[in-house]
Amino acid sequence: MNTIYIIFLIFLGGAVFTYFAGKIHKVLQDILFLVSILVPAYLFFANVEIGQNVNLTLGGISLSWGINYFSWLFSLIVLGLGSLAAIYAVGFMKGEKRRGYFYFNFILSIMAMTGILLSRDLVSFFVFWEIMTWSSYLITIYNGNKVQSIGIKYFVFSAIGAYAMLMAIVMVHHITGSFLIGDMIHAYPAMALSMQIWIPIMFLMAFGVKAAMMPLHVWAPGAYSNAPMAYTSVFSGALSKMGIYGMTLVLVTMVNHIPQGVWFREVLAWLGGITAVIGTLWAIQQDDAKKLLAYSSVAQLGYIITGIAIGTELAMLAGLFLAVMHALFKGTLFMVVGAIEKQTGTSNFTEVTGLIRKMPWTFLSALLAIIALAGIPPLGGFVGKWMLYESLITSNHYLLVIVIFFASTAAFLYCYKFLFGFFMGQEEKEWAHVKEAPAVMVLPMLIMALFMLVLGTFPGIILNPINHGLQALGYADSYKHLWDTSIILNSWGNKVVLQPILYSIAGIFLFFIAFLTWKGYKNTRFISTKDISSSGEVPKEDENLTFSVGFMQPFYRAVEPAMRRQIDKYYNAFADGLEATFEFLRRIYTGNGQTYAIYVIVFVVVMLLFKDFLF
Amino acid sequence: MDSTLFSYLDYAVYGTAVIVMLIGFYGAMVKKSLLKIVIGLSVIDSGLNLLIVAIGYYKGGTAPIFSQGFLENFKSVSKMTDPVPQALVLTAIVIGFGVTAVALALVIRLYRHHGTLNIDEIKNLKW
Amino acid sequence: MVGTPVLFIAIPLMAAFLIPLLGMIWKELVRIVPGLVLTYLLILSINLLDHVLAHGPIVEVIAGWGPPIGINLVFSALSGFLVVLMEFLGLLVWAYSYRFKRNVDYEPALKYFLMLMMLITGSVGIVLTGDIFNMFVFIEITSISAYGLTAFYKGRNSAEASFKYVMMGSVASTFLLLAIMIIYAQLGTLNMADIANKIHLMNPTLKIVSYIFFVTALGIEAEIFPLNGWAPDAYAEAPGPVGAAFAGIVVKAAVYAIIRYTYTIFDLSGTFNFLIIIGMITLIIAETAAIRQEKLKRMLAYSSIGQMGLVMVAFGFGTEEGVFAALFLMLNHAIIKSLLFFSGSYLTYNSTDKKISEVNGMSKFLPITSLLFALGAFAIVGLPPFAGFWSKLAVMTAAADSNMILIMALVLIVSVVELVYYLRVVNRVYFYKKEADVKPKRPTVNALIVMITLGAIILLVGFYPDAVTGLLHKASAGLMDKTQYIHNVLSVR
Repeated sequence: MNTIYIIFLIFLGGAVFTYFAGKIHKVLQDILFLVSILVPAYLFFANVEIGQNVNLTLGGISLSWGINYFSWLFSLIVLGLGSLAAIYAVGFMKGEKRRGYFYFNFILSIMAMTGILLSRDLVSFFVFWEIMTWSSYLITIYNGNKVQSIGIKYFVFSAIGAYAMLMAIVMVHHITGSFLIGDMIHAYPAMALSMQIWIPIMFLMAFGVKAAMMPLHVWAPGAYSNAPMAYTSVFSGALSKMGIYGMTLVLVTMVNHIPQGVWFREVLAWLGGITAVIGTLWAIQQDDAKKLLAYSSVAQLGYIITGIAIGTELAMLAGLFLAVMHALFKGTLFMVVGAIEKQTGTSNFTEVTGLIRKMPWTFLSALLAIIALAGIPPLGGFVGKWMLYESLITSNHYLLVIVIFFASTAAFLYCYKFLFGFFMGQEEKEWAHVKEAPAVMVLPMLIMALFMLVLGTFPGIILNPINHGLQALGYADSYKHLWDTSIILNSWGNKVVLQPILYSIAGIFLFFIAFLTWKGYKNTRFISTKDISSSGEVPKEDENLTFSVGFMQPFYRAVEPAMRRQIDKYYNAFADGLEATFEFLRRIYTGNGQTYAIYVIVFVVVMLLFKDFLF
Repeated sequence: MDSTLFSYLDYAVYGTAVIVMLIGFYGAMVKKSLLKIVIGLSVIDSGLNLLIVAIGYYKGGTAPIFSQGFLENFKSVSKMTDPVPQALVLTAIVIGFGVTAVALALVIRLYRHHGTLNIDEIKNLKW
Repeated sequence: MVGTPVLFIAIPLMAAFLIPLLGMIWKELVRIVPGLVLTYLLILSINLLDHVLAHGPIVEVIAGWGPPIGINLVFSALSGFLVVLMEFLGLLVWAYSYRFKRNVDYEPALKYFLMLMMLITGSVGIVLTGDIFNMFVFIEITSISAYGLTAFYKGRNSAEASFKYVMMGSVASTFLLLAIMIIYAQLGTLNMADIANKIHLMNPTLKIVSYIFFVTALGIEAEIFPLNGWAPDAYAEAPGPVGAAFAGIVVKAAVYAIIRYTYTIFDLSGTFNFLIIIGMITLIIAETAAIRQEKLKRMLAYSSIGQMGLVMVAFGFGTEEGVFAALFLMLNHAIIKSLLFFSGSYLTYNSTDKKISEVNGMSKFLPITSLLFALGAFAIVGLPPFAGFWSKLAVMTAAADSNMILIMALVLIVSVVELVYYLRVVNRVYFYKKEADVKPKRPTVNALIVMITLGAIILLVGFYPDAVTGLLHKASAGLMDKTQYIHNVLSVR
């Protein structure tokens, strides 16, 4: 039997067995859960050959599964992050209820994402897409009835996207007579113009929803922040990348072939830029770390979308590199928040402070992830952002550079807030009992932090697979000519030129910090949050005076007018209006039997009146 | 004899049937009492049955019973009226009877449950 | 050959009227005999279907009068598929309601099973018969037993629902008879194949009028808007398993009848567009009504109406693909909606109002039932990898191939509405706190077996659609081939 079948069988069987193993023993359930994620991941990387396809026929539809370099790149994200998050989840879910439910959906969503990457035909693509949607939906509503409306919003947006994709799929089938992706790409240049425009738009709707692109992003903050953090790292890190994956495919294999494609690219790039700005602004004013990271995810996905929408070789490299990095650092950060929430019971900055000494390893991973997110060298985010700026400038998108630059500078504010809110500040007695998270949770975070460090220093490690992936999509080999033209790659590729200098700078920096900390530690006067008074006012007991309260208030006041118009409100108003209309419409069923009988007569009379028109 | 009068009279039976049906519809659709509605429904049935029999009949036809001496009297089988509509009407009458019985049983139940026969007041199930 | 199609009508009718006598011997026989009969008929129908798929349709001549004079039964791939489906669902409904309510004693049980047998017989008869008046008789048999089953419970508003059903049913039978008489007066025949053969001789206006009357009459049973006023009430007030029987058996028979008239008998232009229009209206109105429901069974009923609208739309494409999609939808709707009715009635077992809020938190008390309800909800909105997805895909493919892009968009938008209300209920079952005064009732063993069987079928069709697609393709090819049907029937002597 082919390895691909075995992988799916293990996933499926593992999901079911893990669910029921909880009835026998908790530890057995954990082990089964890990096995059913890690074993397929191992099999995938060890045994699945790139370029090899399996074909099967189901319900009269010929399906094809296989992998190419491009999807292999994304499978690194999905299975790598998935495996680490699975290990983390075992620690996170300890003592929680509905573990079987969580594990079951976790495995299924990893399976679905793997399946999406393996699909070489549109039907299995759609099937796995929908499985991904409902399994992630089920985890989103894990926390009970409070999040019902959030979950439904997520599902409705996903469903609208997925159904748009379904329309595109069947239209492609109508034109080509086949569901294979290869046939679609082959036939696309010869299609009618309206089809050439509508099919990518409908695909992009589906992918835009998952990639949380403006204006389809409104589900994302709620869903990301309300799912259990062990899953959100996958949700934001890997699942959203499926949208990026599909978007890239559509842009490169379809839109590139028509002259109108440039408009698609411009619009998408700008939507990405706007998404980045809006996400950042919203992230800044959140007091809940989960919400902050959720909005930050939206913003980061905006960069990635901009990158791949610009579509030059460098921009593609930048976008995909950022995608990998985003999976790493956002996965880590959500895990960090999960660990803090697990240990303290809250994820609100205004409540938890001063954890640096209580949870040092968590702090270390958070620090590295934040550095990567903010784009400070030597971590990976810097490389990605540099490439993005460079590609934007070289492709003459000067205005967009300003937008992206604004967003990524503003991102520093929330980065700072995150790091300070949790780890710095006064140590409160309330949190004196807090201990470091268990090793199963810390270890994945540290591994990912290590990866960020390595990838930031040697970006070639991941740029090489990206290069291969892009070649699989028809881009030229960028190893030679592009790496020389780009300033960053010249210096930051595998050729170590700047690195000694950088290490010296970093070493001095770290030493300085250590020195200051040590120096400051001696002189520190430990006080409580409440131990302040200003202007003769003594704060009351119930007043929250934690460091993070009202953080960035002036900045928020400055941007507030721009944020007053939320697109979410319009969606809600639209939905309410629809429901009111439905409420009105159903009054047709008056409940009076006689009225119903009259309807019959009216129906007949109307039919008879319009018979010439109808028949 | 005035032949036009007769040809009108030929159609009169159809007209009567249709009028009876319309009366039935009026009863079923306009009257508010459950009993009148049921009566209306069975009046519709009667009108319809009349119509069907009328369709099978033609002037001067005889009963479709193939008995001894039939051919001597009528010379041809084509003098018989069409037996099929009559058979159908028999079936339809039986079915109409059944439906009326069910409807009346329901009226009794409804009266016990709601204490009224006014259909406008029996609207617990709606929307 | 192990039997003939006439057994599908003769045996259950005989059994239905023998039940009271048998009940005098041993009361339990009242409950056992229907099951035995339905099992036998299911096996028989599967055998016959097998035979038909291999050797072509069976045309059964009754009482020695060959077509077009006598009544004939046609057991083709299409009608065979529907008969198997109906007998299977009938068997499941029987097994489910074997001891559905503890307090139902001998007398009501007798009536219940008698009427259930009549209902199934009538529906099977509608599908099998090749004679329009015979179809009228079967429709009346079905309707009268449906009136009775709707009014089965005494304490509730069931009589009201049933009375509405009777009113509309009587009007329907009036129009049906009128339509039959118009055709008979014009063509002098009642045999469907013969009518189809001679339909071009008919006066065009009268042809249209009779078609309209047919559609009106059958549309009442097939729950077409605006003829479906009875449906939500009847579904809500009838016993739970009867709701499944309505959705899975009666409606299917009525839809079959409409389709037979549209595809085989009448040669009107525009009928397909007509089906699409009324189907779309039905779909939209029903789903919008469903989203605002406060009662579970009414919600399921409206959803059922909506699905039937979608079936109509799929039939309205007029292509073989469209017919295939519609048949697939009918199959899926039959199994999934039955599962939803079965599990839904246990979720709201002890409540009189059947409010949706009363299913809150039931998953703790009825884990398997809740799981199956959720499975059904996911399947009916067409989420892969469950059965509903393949039919949705088939409908969409057929629509695209007929260039019905607007229809596709509307159907998909309505599916989103459907998704929302099902998810709301499932969320309630799993994530809300149980209301204090609601007493859960554990399902009986046979009910559980029935529900699990249906769940297994949903998964089977979902993962391996080839299990049914071959049969459905044959059935849809059979429906499309009008001349072959006429030839098959009229060549029998």
